Amino acid sequence: MIRTNKLMKVYRTEEVETTALNEVSVEIKPGEFVSIMGPSGCGKSTLLNILGLIDNPSGGEYHFLDKEVSKFSERQRSQLRKNNIGFIFQSFNLIDELTVFENVELPLIYTKVSSSDRKKRVDDVLDKMNMMHRRNHFPQQLSGGQQQRVAVARAIVNNPKLILADEPTGNLDSANGDDVMKNLVHLNNEGATIIMVTHSQYCAEFGNRIIRLLDGQVVTESMVAKQML
Amino acid sequence: MWKSQIRLALRSLWKNKLNTTIKLAGFIVGITSCLMIMLFIQQELNYDAFHEKGDRLVRVVMEYGMAGESGIVNVTGNKVAPAFKEDFAEVANACRVIEYNQVVKFREQIFEEPHFYYADSTFFELFTFPLLQGEPGEVLRAPDQVVLAERMAKKYFGDEDPIGKVLRVGTDNNYTVSGIMQDPPAASQLKPDFIGSFVSLRDARAERLTWWNANYATYLLLHNAESRPGLEAKIPEYMRRHANETGSEGENYLSYRLEPLLEVHLHSPVPGNFEPNGDIRYIYILSAIGLFILLISTSSYINLATAVSTERAKEIGVQKVLGASRGQLFWQHLAESMVLTGLALTASIALVPLFLPFFNSLFDRQLSANVLLGPAFMGGLFLFGLSTSLLAGAYPATVLSGFEPFRVLKGAYKHSSSGNLLRKSLIVFQFAISVILVISTLVLQGQMQYIQEKKLGYDKSHVLALRTDQQVVEKLDALRSEWVGQKGIQSLSLVYETPVHIKGGYDISRSVNGEHAKMVTALPADEHFLETVNIGLAAGSGISKADVEIAARLGSGSDTTSTLSILINESQARAFGWTPEEALRQFVSFNGRRVQIKGVMKDFHFASLHEPIGNLVVFPTSWGNTLMAKLDGRDIPGALQYMESKWTQLAPHRPFTYHFLDEEFGRMYASEWQAAKLATTFSWLAILLACLALFGVSSYSIVQRSREVSIRKVLGASMTSIISLLSGSFLKLVVWSFLAAMPVGWYLMHQWLQNFTYHIEIQWWMFTLAALLALGAAFLSVSVQSIRTALVNPAEELKGE
Repeated sequence: MIRTNKLMKVYRTEEVETTALNEVSVEIKPGEFVSIMGPSGCGKSTLLNILGLIDNPSGGEYHFLDKEVSKFSERQRSQLRKNNIGFIFQSFNLIDELTVFENVELPLIYTKVSSSDRKKRVDDVLDKMNMMHRRNHFPQQLSGGQQQRVAVARAIVNNPKLILADEPTGNLDSANGDDVMKNLVHLNNEGATIIMVTHSQYCAEFGNRIIRLLDGQVVTESMVAKQML
Repeated sequence: MWKSQIRLALRSLWKNKLNTTIKLAGFIVGITSCLMIMLFIQQELNYDAFHEKGDRLVRVVMEYGMAGESGIVNVTGNKVAPAFKEDFAEVANACRVIEYNQVVKFREQIFEEPHFYYADSTFFELFTFPLLQGEPGEVLRAPDQVVLAERMAKKYFGDEDPIGKVLRVGTDNNYTVSGIMQDPPAASQLKPDFIGSFVSLRDARAERLTWWNANYATYLLLHNAESRPGLEAKIPEYMRRHANETGSEGENYLSYRLEPLLEVHLHSPVPGNFEPNGDIRYIYILSAIGLFILLISTSSYINLATAVSTERAKEIGVQKVLGASRGQLFWQHLAESMVLTGLALTASIALVPLFLPFFNSLFDRQLSANVLLGPAFMGGLFLFGLSTSLLAGAYPATVLSGFEPFRVLKGAYKHSSSGNLLRKSLIVFQFAISVILVISTLVLQGQMQYIQEKKLGYDKSHVLALRTDQQVVEKLDALRSEWVGQKGIQSLSLVYETPVHIKGGYDISRSVNGEHAKMVTALPADEHFLETVNIGLAAGSGISKADVEIAARLGSGSDTTSTLSILINESQARAFGWTPEEALRQFVSFNGRRVQIKGVMKDFHFASLHEPIGNLVVFPTSWGNTLMAKLDGRDIPGALQYMESKWTQLAPHRPFTYHFLDEEFGRMYASEWQAAKLATTFSWLAILLACLALFGVSSYSIVQRSREVSIRKVLGASMTSIISLLSGSFLKLVVWSFLAAMPVGWYLMHQWLQNFTYHIEIQWWMFTLAALLALGAAFLSVSVQSIRTALVNPAEELKGE
């Protein structure tokens, strides 16, 4: 599903040049649940942004669904992204002005799903996340755990082939964090490919492979010995 | 898609209530002002357009050269209309119109009517003033017929049918009401209240037809609008053929120009016949003001919309990650400005009728808000709203939709300085416009005050003027003995017109033979004129009762040997090359008559201060149509009441209708007063809008600096230093705007002052005051948020670090 070859990302300011990713080559197969770990500033989020087609690499190759996408324009990336990728963020990133239902509905609007179909699919996924009773609430009226459940619902409502999660439990207490991780494992079991950036070894071990980065380079790749669930 | 975009737009407008309120208020003020200006311009541009044959109507103006002077006037002799209709195939019809001030009486009601017209029977064929009663071709055909405007029919007859009723007009004419016409629209040069049949006038008789005695507005209806230039080209030659009738020889000449009626109001250099013309330059200035106000309110919107970009960044980033395209986000943000413009437009349409009476009284107009609801204007308003929302919304929408999601989600826009330069430039622009308007206001008001207080060389205070007629003049001695010395009435004088604006045109020559005569302004007046308006003498003495009696005898032909004595002013003496003393007892030729100079008056301003003091003659008369009474001013209501009671006894045929010279003087500067009021109104509006925007923008940018403020406070900064730090950056912008505005304001007002021969100089304090006003207003706008931020508890603010 994903293959990168010597992926580079260099940030330049007037005086300093910072290499965020240095010849990163990884391969992720459909159905995998890969955790990316490493200290702050090692390039985890940069890699996730590039894999999620939010950002372009400075060099190297990136094959997504067998297409070389590293030189894609914003418009092309946006097309691929909205049809194939779901995002979950540490800070939930729900839109405060929209209700739970409307937040989850948003990706379907951008993929031009009909109104009746949208309603059905949003209700289904909210039901699955156990958030139906909150469908007309605004994000500020929800707890952190509930907000992240809505964010997960939004990430999966389009049935994406790939789910990217950036520190999804970072802002949650352990009970809510566990809840989110179980949901991710469940989605993975249903066939979704998941890439998750995390600081937490505990969370990383919910996946089946861990990639460790340091200073923009892959230092180790290891399989997780046993499933926690 | 649109539904969700508008929903999101409405919710974010609701969420940022302060921001939304300021943007909305800015739009409402801007759009309401623009709509009123548009109504004004719409009326001006459509002046006289209601005449169905308007494109074929022309006004005839007369060009002449006489006694070495040339001129162009809006009136002609009474012969032009019949002669042109007879001799030029291009002319389908012609009409002469003249306006009189008449006293009209019906039963016990008696009023002085300033808009009593006389017109040829063709009037209703040329002009579209629909008749409610009467036949267009018949109502002005016979002598002593009169057509009433609807409002006059109501005024005199109430619910009675006026047709066939008889009105007493002047002292001894009885006119029969032959028709009722709709009241003329506001956008009409001709605004008759009454139209008497032209054939009622003595001058309508064939034997009295003349090319000279230019008193009549003459209008032609052409068969074909395109024939006007060709016809106009034929006139000089035609007039040369009639040189023996016009007396044109040597450098004297007489000819005519034809002005399309629809262009007279805004484009003619020749004054209007029945009301002052408009001026296309005012339309340009007003359009510019409207545009500036709109630009100020749209730049407020741009400023506020981009100022909150940091708050909107997350929302935009998330939407992009979820697949929103730049185009979709662009439209979503544009939807916000469209929603706001729509709301503001609706509010403005509701507000315009509320403010219109104020606007109408300020600018002496009769604008109606109903025009706004017409389909054409509605379509225009829709386009106006759309372009306003595009103007305001396109830039913020472009900026906001261009955010890169990965940077947003990294928090890169949290303390963004992007767009700062633009926001600062917009603030400078807004304040610069405000400062220019404030400078203009100060100069305009300074000049108007100067005009009010300028020593004119005569005393116009507490002098009232009444129009009069022969019957009153005959009882003048009786009136004088009843009035003068009573209730503070100091003197009474009979003149042809008041000294505020003397227009009478005569000719004068230093040679008693009348050679090399020059035009001169002259005023017929009685022996009380100089004392009534307190005009001083540089040499000699004033007109005496004996002079007035000689003038009367000379006028009636009963005396052919006496010499008329006249007064001249210092300018006229200088023009003859004499000192005032040398001028005394000199014989000169005045209007072809040998006269002797009896006195030299000190120069006084007998025209507007736009013009230098010209040459003037005052000569004795026993007739006149204006009475001037000087009051001591201690009990004006008492004096007026007393005067009216005596007037009613002595002149019951004429209502006691008067005005004060001060009012007449003020009317001469009506357009300047309007400009001053306009500048004042719009300077306040511009400052209000600029301050609103500054308040909004500074609120956001100061809040962004609260972390910096906390750190400074921890390090020991005082409240004052923090407030001056936060406010200072904005006040600096106001200083920049002042520097930009100063030369522009100076240049514009310097140009305007050149229109006056007598004017103030632009003073440094005007700039200082404008700068202080702008700085003060700006400081008030930013200080609230500065103080609030300076009071923040650093422990709270830095907790999240």
